[in-house]
Amino acid sequence: MMNGFVAKSPMPGFRLGMGITVTMLSIVVLLPIGALLLHGVNFGLSNTWQVVNTERVWNALFLSFRLAFFAALFNLITGTLLAWVLARYEFPGRRIVDAIVDLPFALPTAVAGIALTALYAPNGLFGQFAKNWLAPIGNFLFSPFGVEFSGRIAYTQWGILIALIFVGLPFVVRTVQPVIGEIEREVEEASATLGATRFYTIRRVILPMLMPAALTGFALSLARAVGEYGSVIFIAGNIPNKTEIAPLLIVIRLEEFNYDAAGAIGIAMLLISFSMLLVINLIQIWSRRRIGHV
Amino acid sequence: MNRPHPKLGRFTDFSADMTAGSRAMGQDCRSDDLGRAGAGARPLRRILAAALTAFALVATPQIAAAQDRLLNVSYDPTRELYRAINDAFVEKWVADGNARPAIETSHGGSGAQARAVVDGLKAQVVTLALGADIDQIAERGLLPEDWQTRLPHNSSPYTSTIVFLVREGNPKGLKDWGDLVNDGVEVITPNPKTSGGARWNYLAAWAWAEKNGQDPKEFLAKLFGNVPVLDTGARGSTTTFAQRGIGDVLLAWENEAYLALEELGEDQFEIVVPSVSILTEPPVTIVDKNIENDSQRALAQAYLDYLYSPEAQALIFKHFYRGWDTSKADPGDVARFPELDLVTIADFGGWKKAQAEHFGDGGTFDQIYTAK
Repeated sequence: MMNGFVAKSPMPGFRLGMGITVTMLSIVVLLPIGALLLHGVNFGLSNTWQVVNTERVWNALFLSFRLAFFAALFNLITGTLLAWVLARYEFPGRRIVDAIVDLPFALPTAVAGIALTALYAPNGLFGQFAKNWLAPIGNFLFSPFGVEFSGRIAYTQWGILIALIFVGLPFVVRTVQPVIGEIEREVEEASATLGATRFYTIRRVILPMLMPAALTGFALSLARAVGEYGSVIFIAGNIPNKTEIAPLLIVIRLEEFNYDAAGAIGIAMLLISFSMLLVINLIQIWSRRRIGHV
Repeated sequence: MNRPHPKLGRFTDFSADMTAGSRAMGQDCRSDDLGRAGAGARPLRRILAAALTAFALVATPQIAAAQDRLLNVSYDPTRELYRAINDAFVEKWVADGNARPAIETSHGGSGAQARAVVDGLKAQVVTLALGADIDQIAERGLLPEDWQTRLPHNSSPYTSTIVFLVREGNPKGLKDWGDLVNDGVEVITPNPKTSGGARWNYLAAWAWAEKNGQDPKEFLAKLFGNVPVLDTGARGSTTTFAQRGIGDVLLAWENEAYLALEELGEDQFEIVVPSVSILTEPPVTIVDKNIENDSQRALAQAYLDYLYSPEAQALIFKHFYRGWDTSKADPGDVARFPELDLVTIADFGGWKKAQAEHFGDGGTFDQIYTAK
């Protein structure tokens, strides 16, 4: 905790470290964002609003953020589970599974997009399965309720969701895994000796300790999914109002040489992302307070 | 991908994939490779790495200066054509007693390619899908406004038209534009905002509707209602249709349709020629502001003139484009093209007018997706 201006520290290198931090942040992060905002200021607030406040832009923004949220939520649950398995159990091939988790980081997103599209297209391996098995079963079960399944995954919102889950998964696993490693087994044993059931131990002891890290992973996964372009354009149908993500709309505006409109949509995305991350941070602070410092 | 030049290796390999984005990615990778040499090394090694990097940066243009280079920024479906033409031109240029030039070609959606040139990609020659995209470059002062009068046939050494590619046996019985708006027909076309070919598709459909007493705007709204996937470029749409098995009909350049037949098997697809289509003119020109010296200008001029020569025209016919000069072409290549009622861009009042009216912000294409 820093009370006062700069607390004295026994560690050397504060000035140098701080200098590099500020320079790097400015060049790598603040400069591009500043340029974007400056562009928006020059374009004018009301003009920016006019560009954003159209049905097509709202649909694209809603699609991007909604699917990114669901993908991050899915990753939060499955990623935490995966991290638990990797950190807690010894099994043959554990290291291989551990390495596979990082693949979405390493693979160029365009390659991922094309591979996923080939798999989930109606003539692909999973696509055929979905069309021939899932859709008839789904329709048999749910058609009385007026729900219809086309059995198509690629070129629909399902395809986008799968691509976003793919690119976001490692974030949750990699943030949660070390925290699980830190939790000592004695904590669980103590909980058990005090009469807690297994489920109670997970709910009241383990999960609260994982919460801050899991939320960080969730936020990273969400942020990544919101801006994801490379893999999604291959698997999305890119139909306006239906499967057109906001980043694609920005690219389309750029192709029209309409830099102002592209900047305006970019600013809208930036603001929404910023407020979402703010909310997540607030939840983190709240959860830390609630369970004490981990 | 182009074959990298033996001396210059990967530095000459500017050929990009389907989008401008992936081209940027390719360039990033190169600068990355240089940058990584300096990261994390000890001081002496770091200095050495920096010196080597500087040498590499300085040396590359010097090697290049000894040799004339040409960057031809082209659109999506010309990959195979320019691969053949570049080889043939280099042979001829060398046979005429000149030094061997390095000719590179980059491909992508026509609009994206034009934007890359506007944003500073040093292309000496552009060969795009439609005049409007070159107009955009001219508007930024990189070449004169009257560029299209500089070479014969509206600066279009090859033309094509828009046809339908359908699945074997034409199961949905699609014969003409009117059949495409039937219920249950899925039409594949790229997005006219990002693809030049798609703009020709759009205008061809518009022309048919006008000639057949339909409201063209309503007709196109119905047509695009049947489009399940809008790719950003023509090649992407071909992949979606042919390899992913989506859709009943692909609206394609005639040359792209024949290429798909050749590459993917004649037993899978059929070409259907509609009653009305449009004469597509993909023009070529020199980007004057990007010419560095006289010898480069001479090379660029010779390159474009070569496109009109009987030898290049024969290659053009061979690659399924409609050329002008049949003297050296294989008669079989020429006989392939059926006669049909072709409107031209002049019927739409030229690209300047058509671009603003149909594909500009709030144009008829935008109205399709805002009217609902």
